[in-house]
Amino acid sequence: MTPRLTPLALSVVSLAASGLVLAIFTGRPELIVAVVPLVFGLFRRRFLASSDWQIARVLSADQAFEGERVVVTITVSAEGNVPTLELFEPLPPSLRLVAGSNRGFFTLTRDQSVKWTYEVECRRRGRASLGVVQARLWDRSGLHAVESAARASGPLRVYPRRIQLRRLPRPRRTQTSVGNYVASSVGQGIEPGDIREFAPGDRIRHVNWRASLRFRKLFVTQYHQERNADVILMLDTLSEAGAAPETTLDASVRAAASLAGAYLARKDRVGLIEYGGPFRWVRPGSGRGQRERLLEALLRAEVVFSYVRGDVGLVPRRVLPPQALVIAITPLVDPHFEKAVVDLAARGFDLVILSPSPIPLVRRTMPTSPSVDLACRLWALERRARAASLQRLGLRVLEWDPRQPLELALAAFNPVRRRMMG
Amino acid sequence: MWVPPLVLTVAVLGYPLFVAPARGVLVIGLAALVLCALGLVVRSGALVTAGGVLALGQYALALWLAAAPPRLAGAVLFGVGLVLLVETADFSRRVRGATLGPGLVASQVRYWVGFAGLAGSAALFAAGLATAASAVVRLPWAPAFAAGGAAAALVAVTIALRRREIP
Repeated sequence: MTPRLTPLALSVVSLAASGLVLAIFTGRPELIVAVVPLVFGLFRRRFLASSDWQIARVLSADQAFEGERVVVTITVSAEGNVPTLELFEPLPPSLRLVAGSNRGFFTLTRDQSVKWTYEVECRRRGRASLGVVQARLWDRSGLHAVESAARASGPLRVYPRRIQLRRLPRPRRTQTSVGNYVASSVGQGIEPGDIREFAPGDRIRHVNWRASLRFRKLFVTQYHQERNADVILMLDTLSEAGAAPETTLDASVRAAASLAGAYLARKDRVGLIEYGGPFRWVRPGSGRGQRERLLEALLRAEVVFSYVRGDVGLVPRRVLPPQALVIAITPLVDPHFEKAVVDLAARGFDLVILSPSPIPLVRRTMPTSPSVDLACRLWALERRARAASLQRLGLRVLEWDPRQPLELALAAFNPVRRRMMG
Repeated sequence: MWVPPLVLTVAVLGYPLFVAPARGVLVIGLAALVLCALGLVVRSGALVTAGGVLALGQYALALWLAAAPPRLAGAVLFGVGLVLLVETADFSRRVRGATLGPGLVASQVRYWVGFAGLAGSAALFAAGLATAASAVVRLPWAPAFAAGGAAAALVAVTIALRRREIP
């Protein structure tokens, strides 16, 4: 690496030249003498070795959720004397500096090591790569510098922020495994259902003594079975609106992560289908492992332009079980996704559309003006018309303002679903 | 880190007033002070350099007005102060907002003190050499300065501009 002159060198040259010119005009030797230190500093060159130091990076966590903070600790060590080392760690847009500085200056003697710490906030889901640290080795005067870069591993996975949900859309049909939904069929369970006459083989503890005494015959209480359900989250990655980290896709991913977490906590099997032209999916499953798989898939969710438009009929049955509740999360911006949803409804799927509205997210990025207001009102009308056309096909559309809690949108949904189940 | 360059600015701009306390010198000094202070605030090396050039102009005016016998020790101090002013201002600009490692400022101050001593000694040595040489050999001073100064300035600027700069 060759040391290069810095702008300070040009400043010193300019001052020296000015001093000389003034000395000529005034004919005063003092000015020549005053210029000597400037020239002396300029030609005092240091040789800078760029490989005499190393860095190592440690993160306080290699996984975090949106909004959480991570402490980055960088240890700089030197094998030889390092006069002034400037390190700069460019942060990806998904991370925001909240404490300390991502730029540091150090002076190191032989075999010395120093620690440098700063704190970042995870703004947006994704794989944030803190890989390369830009370095600049200065001589003491600041007249010469060498630039280089050092690589230190620092992978950080930022998962979408989860919102606690108490109310969830109830599936119309249940599956065979044990879960939290009271099924219409009777069997093992804790929710009492009908009573019937005692039959050989019935357990004594199921005998309904009050009914038996009244009718002078043995009656037993039947219990409803408690079953789980299959829930498929269908994510629209065809388009997004708004500015990161508050785009419709970000809101959709957060909603999907929250719904997945809440359904998995109820022992349901949850799967994910990402529709961004071609399909990408995670097969339905349950447990913590499935949660990790879903979060990993949501981490990668992004809008990628494609001419391919997949047909829902191509999705394998094991990925999209016929009895499943499908929650389609879409801003209703791309008509291809609507077509896919209508197709699913036509195949008899229990379908709910959760639509994060792009209007407040886009409006936030634009200056306030009457024309913007008018455009937003027209857009809102158009969205309402689209939702109405889907509702005419028997689909329920939940309009969700991403600035509001998701639970508000879901709360408006449940009473209607109960009537549908009834 | 803005205190050392500010103190040096006041010292460098105050010395010409000590040489010749005149109104013109004061006005140029104030203009230079404003430029240097602005350069420190907005982190602009160009403004500090412009202030330094004005300071040289102020010093030249003071010397011209005073028309006193040469004071070489004062000139050495002025030159050392000027170079330290631009270096400290540049250092202050570079490290602003950054994490500073242990011992960085102390080692930098040690360097500046050492450099001031060395550069001052070199300047005094050069001045003494020139005085001794002038006693022996009579040179037409002004044309020699003109030629030497112009050549040195041109060579230095060429060297500086030939290399790619670091922002």
